[in-house]
Amino acid sequence: MTEAAEASQQVPAEELERAAFYRLLAGLLSAPPDDPALATLTALEGDATPLGSAVTELAARAAAAAPVDVRHEYEDLFIGIGRGELVPFASYYLTGFLNERPLARLRDDMALLGIARAEKVREPEDHIAALCEMMAGLIAGSFGEPLPLARQQQFFDTHLAPWAGRFFADLEKASAARLYAAVGRLGRTFVEIETTAFEIAA
Amino acid sequence: MERDSDKQTRARRNFLKLASLGAAASTVAAVAGRPAEAADPAAAKAHGSYRETPHVRKYYELARF
Repeated sequence: MTEAAEASQQVPAEELERAAFYRLLAGLLSAPPDDPALATLTALEGDATPLGSAVTELAARAAAAAPVDVRHEYEDLFIGIGRGELVPFASYYLTGFLNERPLARLRDDMALLGIARAEKVREPEDHIAALCEMMAGLIAGSFGEPLPLARQQQFFDTHLAPWAGRFFADLEKASAARLYAAVGRLGRTFVEIETTAFEIAA
Repeated sequence: MERDSDKQTRARRNFLKLASLGAAASTVAAVAGRPAEAADPAAAKAHGSYRETPHVRKYYELARF
């Protein structure tokens, strides 16, 4: 089947569910959840699988969290004084500096895919939340036609696989992380599933 | 549905189901909010740093709940 024919098909449920996980991670990593968002997170239910139990833990931590504490936690983790405990950018993880070659490569790929940073977004595009948001959009077709799986894998392998697992593992054990320890666990588990699932289809 | 005859695709879907994407996904989808907003093509044109292409350029927005 040609790429175009494949892309114009309806996106199957299992694939759309991946987009939902990416969106959830993007939402949590782009800003701390407010009170209504925490209440919604509390309603999450998972099963006994690694991903399911990560979801359950996220719900439990959301239930125990106060919005003001979550805001401080987010600042300590990602913003801090000068910088937070973690620097959630691909370029920093891969080179030790911001705005290096990994960002340039991402910008090249974004241009090819027809994705650009929204005017009001200030962070460089290789922020983990932006990359999760892009994956969600590429899967679901928010930027046009849904991207064929092989090209999703290319994007994932280039821009997320080299560092996202390490970032989420760091988040899971970061000293400032409470709610975000569960986000780290969820992200790490999800990236492992993504990696395996791409390998199966390759 | 023709993709279901593809062994690898079926294996992938089965794996995703077993990995609990299905079990947790219904609640996750409910909280994950709207998909990224498609942008106004006129706004995209004004964005000088990107090469113009014939198709509509979409902007992503960092997700918010």
